[in-house]
Amino acid sequence: MYARIIRNDIRRSRLASLATVLFVMVSALLVSLAGALGAELSAALETLMERAATPHLLQMHSGPIDLERLESFAAGSSELEGFQVLEFLNVEGAAFEFGDRTLAGSVQDNGLSIQGRDFDFLLDLDGNVANPREGELYVPVFYFKDGTARAGDRVRILGREFRVAGFVRDSQMNSALSSSKRFLVSPEDYATLRDRGSVEHLIEFRLRDPGALGNLEAAYVAAGLESNGPRVGFPLFRMMNALSDGLLIVVLLFVGLLVTFVSLLCVRFALLAKIEQDYREIGAMKAVGLRVSDIRRAYLAKYAVLAVPGALFGWALSFAFRGPLLANLRLFMGEGGASRLAPALGLAGALLVGLLVLGYVRGVLGRFRKISAAEALRFGAPRQAARRPGRLRLAAGLPLGANAALGFLDVLARIPLYGTMLAVLVASSFIAVVPRNLHTTVASPSFSSYLGIGACDLRADVQAVGDIPGRASEIASALAADPEVRKTVVLTARAFTVRGKDGSESSLKVELGDHAVFPVAYAEGRAPGAPDEIALSVLSAEDLGTRVGDRLAAAVDGEWRDLRVAGLYSDVTNGGKTAKAAFSGGEAPVLWAVVQAGLADPSRSREKAAAYAAAFPYAKVSSLQEYVAQTFGPTIRAVGSASRISLGVALVLAALITALFVRMLVARDRVSIAALRALGFRNSDLTRQYLARSALVAGIGVLAGSLLANTLGESLVGALISLFGAASFEFAADPLSAYILIPLAVALAALAATAAGAAGAGRIGIAQTIRE
Amino acid sequence: MNTILSGEHIVKSFGDGAERRNVLDGVSVEIRKGEFVSIMGPSGSGKSTLLYALSGMDRVDGGRILFEGRDLSGLRDDDLADLRRRRMGFVFQQPTLLGNLDLLDNIILPAVRDERRGLGRHVEKARDLMRRTGIEGLERRSVSQVSGGQLQRAGICRALLRDPAVLFGDEPTGALNSASAREILDILSEVNAAGTAVLLVTHDAAVAARAGRVLFLRDGRIDRELELGPPDGQGLEERTGRVSRTMRELGI
Ligand SMILES: Nc1ncnc2c1ncn2[C@@H]1O[C@H](COP(=O)(O)OP(=O)(O)O)[C@@H](O)[C@H]1O
Ligand SMILES: [Mg+2]
Repeated sequence: MYARIIRNDIRRSRLASLATVLFVMVSALLVSLAGALGAELSAALETLMERAATPHLLQMHSGPIDLERLESFAAGSSELEGFQVLEFLNVEGAAFEFGDRTLAGSVQDNGLSIQGRDFDFLLDLDGNVANPREGELYVPVFYFKDGTARAGDRVRILGREFRVAGFVRDSQMNSALSSSKRFLVSPEDYATLRDRGSVEHLIEFRLRDPGALGNLEAAYVAAGLESNGPRVGFPLFRMMNALSDGLLIVVLLFVGLLVTFVSLLCVRFALLAKIEQDYREIGAMKAVGLRVSDIRRAYLAKYAVLAVPGALFGWALSFAFRGPLLANLRLFMGEGGASRLAPALGLAGALLVGLLVLGYVRGVLGRFRKISAAEALRFGAPRQAARRPGRLRLAAGLPLGANAALGFLDVLARIPLYGTMLAVLVASSFIAVVPRNLHTTVASPSFSSYLGIGACDLRADVQAVGDIPGRASEIASALAADPEVRKTVVLTARAFTVRGKDGSESSLKVELGDHAVFPVAYAEGRAPGAPDEIALSVLSAEDLGTRVGDRLAAAVDGEWRDLRVAGLYSDVTNGGKTAKAAFSGGEAPVLWAVVQAGLADPSRSREKAAAYAAAFPYAKVSSLQEYVAQTFGPTIRAVGSASRISLGVALVLAALITALFVRMLVARDRVSIAALRALGFRNSDLTRQYLARSALVAGIGVLAGSLLANTLGESLVGALISLFGAASFEFAADPLSAYILIPLAVALAALAATAAGAAGAGRIGIAQTIRE
Repeated sequence: MNTILSGEHIVKSFGDGAERRNVLDGVSVEIRKGEFVSIMGPSGSGKSTLLYALSGMDRVDGGRILFEGRDLSGLRDDDLADLRRRRMGFVFQQPTLLGNLDLLDNIILPAVRDERRGLGRHVEKARDLMRRTGIEGLERRSVSQVSGGQLQRAGICRALLRDPAVLFGDEPTGALNSASAREILDILSEVNAAGTAVLLVTHDAAVAARAGRVLFLRDGRIDRELELGPPDGQGLEERTGRVSRTMRELGI
């Protein structure tokens, strides 16, 4: 008997049923995509880093190296499984010639390398260890993605010709976020070219127990071994590999959950209207002795019929979208053998959405219990919470015209009813604005300041050359003399010995200079100003066990100085373990120097960078804009397409729910509509009244939505972003799109849907309706 | 010449296929300026249907309806709406007032669309009508705060706001007790005396007797027409007797 009730019910409310199926489907689709992607990502990452045998600790070092000392350190450590020193031949970008293109504009440190001896393997696209023969070159997959090289291409490096034999995945440096790229050549070719570039050493360790990383690092630092360069641990490699796709998953999950929320609203909405309609019938069912639980079961069955296929369909659909979304992941990390687990996890996600909806239906159905059989039979549904005319009156004047006034009055008289629509529109603009803000933020120049890169226009890195301070000041004075340069600052990184809380001593890379000129974003505290202040990167502070306001002892010029920790910032550069201070460094060894400059016209940064790069070949000069575009490009693009998808989802959502809502209103207001038509209101007047209602609700809704998106959304995204290592986060929203264009688009979608939904009002027969 | 509303051979049918039947099967009527006409007939004989057809609220399947010389079938929906708003007034059996407006706002409703500035005049008129119909002081009351009789009076005020040429009533007293009904009918008689034509559908002889002329509708046609003389409220009992006799003769 329930089967018939269900069938009739679905047939009678086709649009609402369709909307339920659709929303459940979309949320199931998004959630299962996120689940599948997550499974695939973690498996692929695992497989890649396992096959490549990624080092647990990498110390980059340029300058003289004492291999024997390192060997004996490794031999003395029982925790080590492997130790090797690889070379990385740093070659300037212009020396890579791909046909008529070179890598001169690249912000990456490009270099040649040979295959790892014991571990840290570069893998070809089939996942095998690549072994180039003489004359063969394996190109980082990064340059396959951006179209720089194709298999079989002829490439000249430092004047020597190579044939591209394939592409390699580099478990350390795959990501655009990692600033170096290794091109793989044969040992013979490497030997020939070795003295044509500057050699950097990759001092690499594998541990028996990866958990012992902290000890190893401490021991390494304590031994005072080679450390002129960033030191990076396994977790940071994993984080960098996961970031781009991880963000995509975060956005999918976020939108998926919001759509789930809206499906719940949609269900609530349909169900309450239904209960009101069927009040009498429910009373009758109760009166003849059917139990509440039976009635609830009937409705629950109906939603099961809608939600379960919806969820399954969403899951099935996720297979179609999986390919394109996984393309990037598969290219960079390969297939992780998760193809079996991914659908299962996706299915779990989809079913979770379906179950959530059913659970919610059960909750709403609790209202049945309150319906008394006798009352329901006698009076029908309880009158709408007495509609009351408010303070606004037509007789007081009609500044916006009668239709607007009638529309507004109706909203004010039935605020709870319009609450649902309001909630949907708030949610829609939230869904549309948050990913969009995330996108503009990630794409904005200031985003890099969250990652430890000062917000300048131009930077020149001087590293691995003689007389670093002299060369840096040479560049600085050239910049200072340039009329297009507004301001410039030199930061010199030196190594100091510091004493941690527990008294242990370690070496800390401190960038010295004026950090107020191009500040990074401080998660806590502020930039160091006074000579006895220091700011630490979050990872350094963790290592040292210090917080803002704590004291830190540092050996400067042979004497211990007591420094106050003024601030903490996030840093993804230089292995993430850095510090900043404003005192002068004295005799401490110089590791590198950065000259930063601000331009009067930031849009000229690329041209200026090229000009200075040519003038100072020993420095790596880059435009920050260019640097950000290249480093974060893939991430920015992923977030960008996610934000466009969410905008689409939000608009469809706003339009569909509004159309449903307005149709329900028209059905409810039949008698009033007929009366107004009888009194001589034109159909266009009725449409305008509905538009006025929607305009009011949508106006408030999108306003609230975008405000929420810019506040609550910000903290929400901030919390997610911090998972990836950036500790403080603020939206760099584009006010035009965040506060005006997108909310306007959502409101317009709602209004268009209203116009469509209100068309039904004109078809209500006056004679027929009034006679009822 | 003096005719304000006429219907010629009106046909209106409902239902589909074999079920289809003509509820109005060639009805012709003619209402003169300022006239008071009642339409009577058994339940389901098509009285309401005729009223909705004559006022242009429902399209007809055949025949012609002329209002102030204009053929309604040639008018677009918007023109019909304009005509209803400006020249016609309606009182229904159920007071179709809007729940989210107070009584005064409900009464000025027919004017708000056209009057953004000069609304004050209509508000004055509405207050005047409320006084004349005995519901002064209820301006700010909501629909749920007044009695059925008071609602119906408000409905009449609304119908009269723009001085219609014809006031249509579909059993306006059908839902009221007899005292309230009599008061409403007195008001209608007054309105008619002031020059407004009234077309009233009813199945109650005492109500129909207010009119100058009674049309009896049966089997889709006007079966009989009864002239009662000028509707001046004189000899109401005698007139009611004549209507009742005709009803019996026709077996209504
Ligand atoms: N919309 C409609 N659809 C089908 N039949 C209708 C419709 N409106 C009225 N009728 C039928 O037309 C006949 C006349 O109805 P009506 O004019 O309301 O009668 P009265 O007002 O005289 O009681 C009735 O039999 C009624 O069932
Ligand atoms: Mg009737």
